[in-house]
Amino acid sequence: MLDAATLSAALPRWCAGVHAAAPELNELDGRLGDADLGATLDKCATLVEQALPEMPDTLEGIFKRCAQASAKASGSSFGTLLTVALMTSAKRCAGVTLLDHPQLAALLAEVVTTLSARGGANLGDKTVLDGLHAIHTALAASAEGAEARRVASDAARTALDAFRDKPNRIGRARMFADKTIGMDDPGMVALLRMVDAL
Amino acid sequence: MKKILNDPNAYVDEMLDGLCLAHPELQRRGEGGRVVARSSGAVPGKVGIVTGGGSGHLPVFLGYVGDGLLDSCAVGNVFAGPRMDDCIEAMRAADGGAGVLQLYGNYGGDRMNFDMAAEMLDLDGMSVASVRVADDVASAPAAQREKRRGVAGLVLVYKVAGAKAAGGANLEAVAALARKANDACRSIGVALSPCVVPESGKASFAIGEGEVEFGMGIHGEPGIWRGALKSADALADEMLAHVLPELALARGDRVAVLVNSLGATPAEELYILFRRVAAALADQGVTIVRPLVGRYATSMEMAGASLSVMKLDAELEALLAAPADCPFWSVR
Repeated sequence: MLDAATLSAALPRWCAGVHAAAPELNELDGRLGDADLGATLDKCATLVEQALPEMPDTLEGIFKRCAQASAKASGSSFGTLLTVALMTSAKRCAGVTLLDHPQLAALLAEVVTTLSARGGANLGDKTVLDGLHAIHTALAASAEGAEARRVASDAARTALDAFRDKPNRIGRARMFADKTIGMDDPGMVALLRMVDAL
Repeated sequence: MKKILNDPNAYVDEMLDGLCLAHPELQRRGEGGRVVARSSGAVPGKVGIVTGGGSGHLPVFLGYVGDGLLDSCAVGNVFAGPRMDDCIEAMRAADGGAGVLQLYGNYGGDRMNFDMAAEMLDLDGMSVASVRVADDVASAPAAQREKRRGVAGLVLVYKVAGAKAAGGANLEAVAALARKANDACRSIGVALSPCVVPESGKASFAIGEGEVEFGMGIHGEPGIWRGALKSADALADEMLAHVLPELALARGDRVAVLVNSLGATPAEELYILFRRVAAALADQGVTIVRPLVGRYATSMEMAGASLSVMKLDAELEALLAAPADCPFWSVR
């Protein structure tokens, strides 16, 4: 179950988790890309923190306010994808006060579809989409009594493990796809760190 | 890290402040000042050309805003794409009423933000065309040219597209010319040492003292091979061997050549490379028109160089020779 109060209470933890993970994410990204993933998310978290005192009290409002913060923080690929994901969530939550597991799962499916259309990645490319899709699948199959955070964390971790020995198929890493076998995708790690922070 | 700065987080904004003070023909615009545009405003009746991208590559991207070149630039953090809002503001700043061409390097973050900006301004009735420069042959095979990244060849495309727009062509014609120029341009880079993104404060990759990375991108993206550093002539020959085949040059053809420093490599070494490039092209009966040798598209303090070659027809050659003036380059 996710309502505005739960989401609102999780935001400071999300911000702290992102700050803590930033150096690790920069380092991971530096092996495959341009080493700015941690810095990008760190800026997003800082602007979300600044918006906390004026955070709206609806799911739609919170997602929208976080999307604005993310959009203002960065135009790099992952930051933009985060913005698009939050905007998609805001639109889907219009007039909604409570999301149960099937509804959360459906929201994630829509986020995956939107991100794929905007960013060009497909499932199986070894990106954050694969982690999101795994969470979607796990939530859809989970009992309503199960804790969503635990289900999401386990799914994100399992996806990370499952994709470690596959090649990255999009972004800068595709140019040396074979060398990415055995390496964690930085976006999937970022997702896991964010979920664990909640 | 050893850098001349005050605060890593203020790196881009303080750079922009200084640049606009030194070049008052440029000014910062937009919330946060992350748009650089001509101080004189959009040119009425002219197709506006807007670019954008991460910082850390000066003179690319914003350094080519000027007469006969670009109208505005959306500026991102170091190696990060510009924000959508800044793309929108940059497009508005470039709009002289004849439509706006988005002309930028082919990178994921840049593309997403420019695409979203175009969708927003389309709702306002602005005519928008978009061309992404993809000249780096090391970043994808020829069969997937649309996936290649944009590197120093951007500068040559900026020049001819800017001249076309300055000559009064309409949006469709300027976009078609930019596509033609992109199709005629190929580049490749070699790197000898890494760069440091200010916010991370660490080298973006490690490379051995005696090593070269052949085909590296302008953000330190890995290239084709890494091995012992070769002589300048051997590097030039191998760079040409990657850049020329797709251009299918014949005796009598004319080309523009850009030998570019990725940041730390001195002009002396660029001329040593150019010497060999010029000799090799002369051997093939190919004439170099208006060679450019210097720092045109960099990657912070990375040591290394790139070679860009654009195959010219009469139109491209004339546009390359047309007058232009920006803080980093003048053609008279």
